[in-house]
Amino acid sequence: MKSLRTFAQIYRRIDQHATRYSAVVVVLLFGLFLEAYMHDFNLVYITLFFMFSLAFSAGPIGILNLGHLEASYLSPGRFFAFQEGQIPIEISNHSTTTSWSISLHDDNTSLPLDTIKGETSKVLKLPVTPNKRGPFTHKGCYLESKYPLSTVRLVMKIDETYRGIVYPEPKGTPLHSFLHQEENHYGEEKEFDGLRAYDGSQKLSHIHWASVAKGDMSVKVFSKETLTPKLVFNFYTAATDDESRLSQLCLWVLECEKQNLPFMIQMPNRVLNSVKESTDVILETLARY
Amino acid sequence: MLSLKPLQDIKLSPLALLDSAYIIVLLPLMLILKVPMLIFSFMVLVLLFIKKTPADKFLIVFVFLMGILALYLSLYGLFSFRGLSRLKLFLELLVYVLIIVVSMQRLTREINFYLLLSPILFLALSLFFFHGIIMLSYVIFEIFFLLWLILAHRMSGDMIESFRASMVMFMYSLPWVVVLFIFFPRISFDHADYGFKGENIQRMGHDGTMYLDRKALLVPSDRIVMEVGFDKEVPSSDKLYFRGSILYVDKKDHWEPLPSYIKRESKSYYPTQGERVEYKVTLYPTQKRWIYLLDMPARAVQDADLDRDLISTVEKPIKAPLHYAATSSLSPKFHDSLDQDTLYASTYFDRKRNPRTYQEAQKIKKRFNTPDKRASALIKFFQQQSLVYSLKPKALDINNTADSFLFDKRLGYCVHFASSFVIMARMSGIPSRIVTGYKADKANSLNNYLPVKERDAHAWAELYINEHWLRFETTSTASAIDQDTAEVLGTNNTNEGNKPFIERVNLYLMYVKYQVETWILYYSNIRQLQLLQYAKENPRFIFLFVLSLLVLVLITFSITLYFRRPRCTHKILCILEPLLKKLKNEGYIRKKGETMHQYFLRYMKDHPDNSAIKEVDKYYETISYGGDSSAATIKRLKSMVKNSLSS
Repeated sequence: MKSLRTFAQIYRRIDQHATRYSAVVVVLLFGLFLEAYMHDFNLVYITLFFMFSLAFSAGPIGILNLGHLEASYLSPGRFFAFQEGQIPIEISNHSTTTSWSISLHDDNTSLPLDTIKGETSKVLKLPVTPNKRGPFTHKGCYLESKYPLSTVRLVMKIDETYRGIVYPEPKGTPLHSFLHQEENHYGEEKEFDGLRAYDGSQKLSHIHWASVAKGDMSVKVFSKETLTPKLVFNFYTAATDDESRLSQLCLWVLECEKQNLPFMIQMPNRVLNSVKESTDVILETLARY
Repeated sequence: MLSLKPLQDIKLSPLALLDSAYIIVLLPLMLILKVPMLIFSFMVLVLLFIKKTPADKFLIVFVFLMGILALYLSLYGLFSFRGLSRLKLFLELLVYVLIIVVSMQRLTREINFYLLLSPILFLALSLFFFHGIIMLSYVIFEIFFLLWLILAHRMSGDMIESFRASMVMFMYSLPWVVVLFIFFPRISFDHADYGFKGENIQRMGHDGTMYLDRKALLVPSDRIVMEVGFDKEVPSSDKLYFRGSILYVDKKDHWEPLPSYIKRESKSYYPTQGERVEYKVTLYPTQKRWIYLLDMPARAVQDADLDRDLISTVEKPIKAPLHYAATSSLSPKFHDSLDQDTLYASTYFDRKRNPRTYQEAQKIKKRFNTPDKRASALIKFFQQQSLVYSLKPKALDINNTADSFLFDKRLGYCVHFASSFVIMARMSGIPSRIVTGYKADKANSLNNYLPVKERDAHAWAELYINEHWLRFETTSTASAIDQDTAEVLGTNNTNEGNKPFIERVNLYLMYVKYQVETWILYYSNIRQLQLLQYAKENPRFIFLFVLSLLVLVLITFSITLYFRRPRCTHKILCILEPLLKKLKNEGYIRKKGETMHQYFLRYMKDHPDNSAIKEVDKYYETISYGGDSSAATIKRLKSMVKNSLSS
């Protein structure tokens, strides 16, 4: 009884679609029917009935295979406009039996999942490329299976909707170019303070060639540098139009975060301070501008 | 239970799965392939075996040309417009074409839609050619096997899991198949009779001529001639006479029917008295036109003639198993008014032959006035002659067979008894004739099923008394049976311990086969209507039927559950599985990342008295991490798990 109730519940969650093999089965059934009827061959009747029953039972078996799965979005990384990101989706199998031949789909992508053993889960990363900054929702994902006979395509929609924020596309002048322009404010080399990994934004003269020889790309850091006052980015002077400004600021924010440099952004109505606000909050502000 | 361990490490590629499917479906078709096509198939197999890379177009064209040549040679002489109208040839052509196309596709080593579809087409085509009980079993196996392969393909070649899944699907389908098979509406088209017959052995025992010399058709074989299913109980042995042919003409060494040029008066049939029985017969190929009906047939069988002697024939010699339903009145006599031709034929005897028999017959004729008294006297005379029933009689004097048998050799079997009796009856003035056919024995029956064997071939006499043809069992006048014959017939019982048992088992097997053929292979709209009619008349049958279906559903459901349960792959975890299940039922669910030891400790914290679990934990640790996986330790672990389950 419990099984029937469970089946009824999962049955409602799953859509069934015909495949080209459904048409093949129909044609075969018709052919066998003619053969059986015209010649009164009971062996053909038996084959016909087996084929019919197997095709008929493929539906419930496929539903049981797919219906015990549940999908949920995991917290993703950052999304940037026009850049491919990944939404992690956890697929859990709550049944004790293995689910076979599963794939995850959205409108553009199909990811094979193959099997999920009973009472286990798998994480898939669905690639998405947002085409604008700002609030972002992703829905319409579904799990699909043609198990067991390919005669029916079973689709289980993932009802959950992913809601996130897409930051502006980080592009524009690299931070080190900005720093060149702001050389005076950046301070001078006084006391050697240690080494840091080279990320392309530092001066070439700061490259620590000894470490390069050992295979590490490091740059020298000087104490005066760390004491340099906060970097101040101005919204209006960053670029010529709003979208380019946001992209430019986004790029600098990310680079500053990478180099652990404190910064401030002078926005038209407010000032964003990396000391007071986290990078994500700053990026979200840029995204929602 | 079923062990699938040998399949554990097998992972078949999609091509290997497809090849397996082709092997299975082509196996029965190999029996109908002509030699050139067999050679072609063998050539393709060799090519597939040798060439591990996709074939180039030249090779494919070569295979195509070879295929066409094989097809031409296979159908040479048969291939004409007239031939194509024969469905069997047309189907054969289809099979050949499909084999050629599949061979070409397969050599490319690419799986495409046509290659996936063709095994089903081969299966459907093979069903045109084979209809027997072996094919029934094979078809069910084929369906299961193909299902297994399809699922194996879906399940990445995992043969064990796909086997389990296919068992589940198969069991889901089985009750539906049974219900559909029984209730799906049928129509009354005749069962097509072309195709591979499987067995072309001619049944013997009765051929319409009765020889008295060495050519006498004596076949003490157990081969089944026909199988009879009675609607009610099988009648007693003394009523189981199946009429074959009537012999009127004494040709010294043999008896014959009336010549075909004698056109007898046609007359309407007079229904006979006696208990009516209805029965269905499966008559195996005899290459003759007679069909056998119980004495006395009450009406003609469909598509068969019933003549004035109650002999039933079909239009053409029987070359394939024939199924017919018949009705008879169990009576040893039937009314007839003799026409001139029949009277002459049934009273004629050669005055120059058998003088001693004639002398004795005349004595009886003079002594008794009425035919019935004369017939009784004849029986008495035969009984007094101390005739011995023997399957190895001494050769009779061909010119005086009756004299030789009755007064000289005194050894013979049914034909000699019947022949001598009819000769003497005619000499006594009683019109008489010989009937040949089969006499079955109820002891060989099971429930309503009666197999009739070649050894049941028999001959008896019919005497015309008081406007009735009356049956006389002439062989029963034998006063003894010789030693050899007793051994052959099994009446001696020297090997009493085994023989009846083996015969009984054989009978049960034949019974099962007959029931399968009756209710599955030859299930028809008539059977369907009979079943429904029977169900209408017997509410208890409906109850039993529904109950049987429920039992079937329960059995299939249990098998489904068995194969759906998660498979235990780790040896030690398999041993622990019932214990873990028990703990889970008690509410102790193993947490993610929790080791088995931690899990057991958590349980033991709440149940400190459960020493068995402690022992289980100890042995589990010893086997898993202590490196001691000896049989003794595993046995001990099993025992501890058992203890913990009972505690």
